[in-house]
Amino acid sequence: MAGEGFVAPHVDYAALAPLIALTVGLIVILMSGVFETTKRWAPGLAVLTLGATAGLLIWHWNEQIDLVAGALRIDDLAISISLIATVTAFFTVLLSVRERAAEEAGQGEYYALLIGSVLGMVLLAEAENLVTFFVALETLSIPLYILCATNLRRERSLESGLKYLIVGSLGSATLLYGMAFVYGATGSTDFAGIAHGIAAKGMLHDPLLLIGIALAAVGLAFKTSIAPFHQWTPDVYQGAPTPITSFMAVATKAAAFAVFVRFFVVALGPETGDWQTGLAILAAISIVVGNVGALRQTSLKRLLGYSGVAQAGYMLGGIVVASEKGISSLVFYLAAYLFMNLAAFAVIVARERETPYGDDIRGVRGLGAERPALAWSLTISMLALAGLPATAGFIGKLYLIEALVEGNYLWLAVFIAVGTMISLAYYLRVVAAMWMTPGQAVAGGPGGPEPTPVISGASPEVDPVDPRAGTRWYLVAPAVLAAAITVFFGVIPQPLVEFASHAGASLF
Amino acid sequence: MEAVIFFLAAIGAVVGAIGVVASRNPFYSVLALVAHLFSLAVLFLLLTAAFVAAAQVVVYAGAVMVLYVFVVAYVGSTHEPTFDPIPGQRLFTFLLAFFLFVEISAAVLSSALKALGTHGPDVPAGFGNPAAIGNLLLEEFLVPFEASSVLLLIAAVGAIVLANRKRQAGGGATPSGRPFGAECPEGITPPPAPRSGDPVVSSGHSSAAGASGGQHGIPALAKQNPGSAQ
Repeated sequence: MAGEGFVAPHVDYAALAPLIALTVGLIVILMSGVFETTKRWAPGLAVLTLGATAGLLIWHWNEQIDLVAGALRIDDLAISISLIATVTAFFTVLLSVRERAAEEAGQGEYYALLIGSVLGMVLLAEAENLVTFFVALETLSIPLYILCATNLRRERSLESGLKYLIVGSLGSATLLYGMAFVYGATGSTDFAGIAHGIAAKGMLHDPLLLIGIALAAVGLAFKTSIAPFHQWTPDVYQGAPTPITSFMAVATKAAAFAVFVRFFVVALGPETGDWQTGLAILAAISIVVGNVGALRQTSLKRLLGYSGVAQAGYMLGGIVVASEKGISSLVFYLAAYLFMNLAAFAVIVARERETPYGDDIRGVRGLGAERPALAWSLTISMLALAGLPATAGFIGKLYLIEALVEGNYLWLAVFIAVGTMISLAYYLRVVAAMWMTPGQAVAGGPGGPEPTPVISGASPEVDPVDPRAGTRWYLVAPAVLAAAITVFFGVIPQPLVEFASHAGASLF
Repeated sequence: MEAVIFFLAAIGAVVGAIGVVASRNPFYSVLALVAHLFSLAVLFLLLTAAFVAAAQVVVYAGAVMVLYVFVVAYVGSTHEPTFDPIPGQRLFTFLLAFFLFVEISAAVLSSALKALGTHGPDVPAGFGNPAAIGNLLLEEFLVPFEASSVLLLIAAVGAIVLANRKRQAGGGATPSGRPFGAECPEGITPPPAPRSGDPVVSSGHSSAAGASGGQHGIPALAKQNPGSAQ
């Protein structure tokens, strides 16, 4: 083998096209930041790149191809998760218009990093090999560490970036350590090879393999913010620029869950019964910790952070049952989660720029009278996250619970139901603040009733207030659109169910 | 002969690792880490993993260590105030570390001890030599290999974004060109300078940060250090 010259692997450029589009877009955006005249084009170029990527992804819908010596696999699971990441990035670009973080980091760099992270997500969703898995995970994470810190003049943002870097690196290191053990025990880095090794030897008699899987699961739990590995989530979500928070909350979760599914259901597929209980316990802890933690939050971003922990617990339920229906319900929930969350984040971005309260819950007081469109969007988002009927969140939870009951995990389904009841307390608090408290003169800028913004902390400069942010099309349109889609799929879930069941079917 | 070298290297690795965490002077820690990494490289050589051994020496014992030494030299050996933000945290840490140690020992011993009498796993000839690794990178792992280059590009861009912030803050505000040692001796809190609230975030990317914003970035790092007890 050594020194004999190598055999180049077959490269299917058509199937790699989405990845190529993202890479080209990344470089073009980066170059656009060089010249004064082209600098303004960066958001447009990002939208163009994302559009091209989405188109190329849809082109490969219903195909199942192993690419480049089994490093990647295009199937409906990969494509659906990549589409979720791409759509989230599109919304993030809209929310980032006039965002201070984007201006401070430089438009070209900001959007290039965003596209780089999407590239990592698409790679991760397609990864079918431990090495690709790890490189993709880092390609996803490193731009996010930096994007979290791009609001360079706010201490919270820098703290958020640093915290995310340290915790994320710890998660990556744990994961890598686990991967080394798994490779050592099974002798293969391919998911199919690992499955083969496990099927031949069994899993429970090999401590090396067990510890490898445990460490890898911990690393993945860090990335998907599953309790008890979630402590970074509220802090990082709160400190990061809000458009980036929305991107992290949805897209990172989706991509990490995609590889979670592939690693557990494909690579560890032969011994499903051995890991199900462990993951089910993690899911239950996550549901309890997330919902209880969210109860006392006054910052909306922290609240959504904790709610994200709980939602990750619900979604993990889809992996626990390791069935086609489980995976379908997970993908459905992720897609619904995209729209529910983005509606909320779009409103938070608008209120952050409009009021001196930052993302504090006071910022949405009296929103119902002041900005009905935003108030309705946030209301729908909160009700959907809580799982009320006629929203996509309800159908998603129903679908998950159905999968759990069929997979004989009734007790986890009960946890989801109880968690949902607890979650009503904090979601409805936000709704009540919008509609039931009288509006204050919040739009009056820094001269309002409480001029000291709670969020700014020790920041040397107060964030500028844009009193008309709540009427800007690039904030109102995403909020209203996301809320409308949430309701649409709550009433007519069939198209999304079909989309998700394709993803589930591609693995079994 | 092989056994003698193994035990020498193994003892060196363990002693080096203990030295890293035990010594109070960060400079000694870095030196102990160099010793540890060299011992590891010898162990890799014994396993006929020439490429990994070389990478270990060139990348870690060489490049990364130089970076560490630079950081230690700039930041100095100021004594960080140590305190427990959460009572009982330290005890809990020891407990967790102990359990992790037991767990990993169990895994390694149970699989490694069984293999003591045998001649190890069956691997093809040339497994792990530089040529084989080169082939692997261009055959089986072509995609991760190419993706790593994009990853490095992104990391470099990120480092520049973080290091570049001073320039955008306005030219007059930067403490430009002052040698660090002259202004702030070790352990003394430096006078509040403009923008001292901005800590330098990039730790892994400081090499790139040093390249473009070195004179601005490093004093900020030093200033942040005494005040920010985590």
